[in-house]
Amino acid sequence: MSLLYSLARLLDRISPAPIAYAHCDIPCGIYDPHHAQLAAHTVVRMVDLINQLEKPGPNATVEQRQEYTNKLTRYIATKEQHSEIAKSELRILWADYFKPDHLKTFPELHDTMWKALKTASKARQEINLQAAEELLKATNDVASMFWKTKGFETITTKAPYPTERQTVYPKYK
Amino acid sequence: MFPLVRFRVEDESMRPTLEPGDYVLVNRWAYRFQSPKRGDLVVVRDPETMERFLVKRVSDAAGPTQVQLAGDNLTASRDSRAFGPVSIDRIVGKVWMRLKR
Repeated sequence: MSLLYSLARLLDRISPAPIAYAHCDIPCGIYDPHHAQLAAHTVVRMVDLINQLEKPGPNATVEQRQEYTNKLTRYIATKEQHSEIAKSELRILWADYFKPDHLKTFPELHDTMWKALKTASKARQEINLQAAEELLKATNDVASMFWKTKGFETITTKAPYPTERQTVYPKYK
Repeated sequence: MFPLVRFRVEDESMRPTLEPGDYVLVNRWAYRFQSPKRGDLVVVRDPETMERFLVKRVSDAAGPTQVQLAGDNLTASRDSRAFGPVSIDRIVGKVWMRLKR
């Protein structure tokens, strides 16, 4: 610590120095693609559950129909909600985290993000397993770019959830 | 008005040049007789929040009345890429000396 630095510290006690921000944004700097991946898993899971749901036949009782409608509605509502969470999280990464400099390393960034958001809308609108899986893959692609910008290697492995789909995780040192 | 004024640095957009906690001594008279040049470290009033100061580097002396600013740590900086060119009259002064912690 230099003498001048100590002097500046001492002066702060008499009259604090104004702050010059080497500013980023708010700046929290806290970003993680995991939220988007998790939401995509939920969307996949809801489509799986909807497809597994036994449809009431022509002779089903009122109670059976009610139960079917109740479950289907809840799955759809959750699918709606989590496709929107996936979109919101992807937008935050796209708009706030990634910077023009990252495009030099990942020229496909904009295209990946744009398609991911379109796919999320499709997964929200339809009961479409392919769209849900594409959304998950897109969030994985974003995650592997994200972790590379942070200097981490990634591994792709089966998620420990009922969806059991391939998921990108950072290899923490 | 005494020309030198000190500021304490916060946040990380000027790393590795300036670390949070460093001080800068700013010469408020630096641009009385000359214009800011590319590469100068300057303290400016935040174009988006008047009462806040920013420390950035002049990345381009865009015109006689305005400059482009950038952080040295480009992946973590809000600068002219976000708020555009900055008018010269918002510049407080030029960093004359860095006091590293």
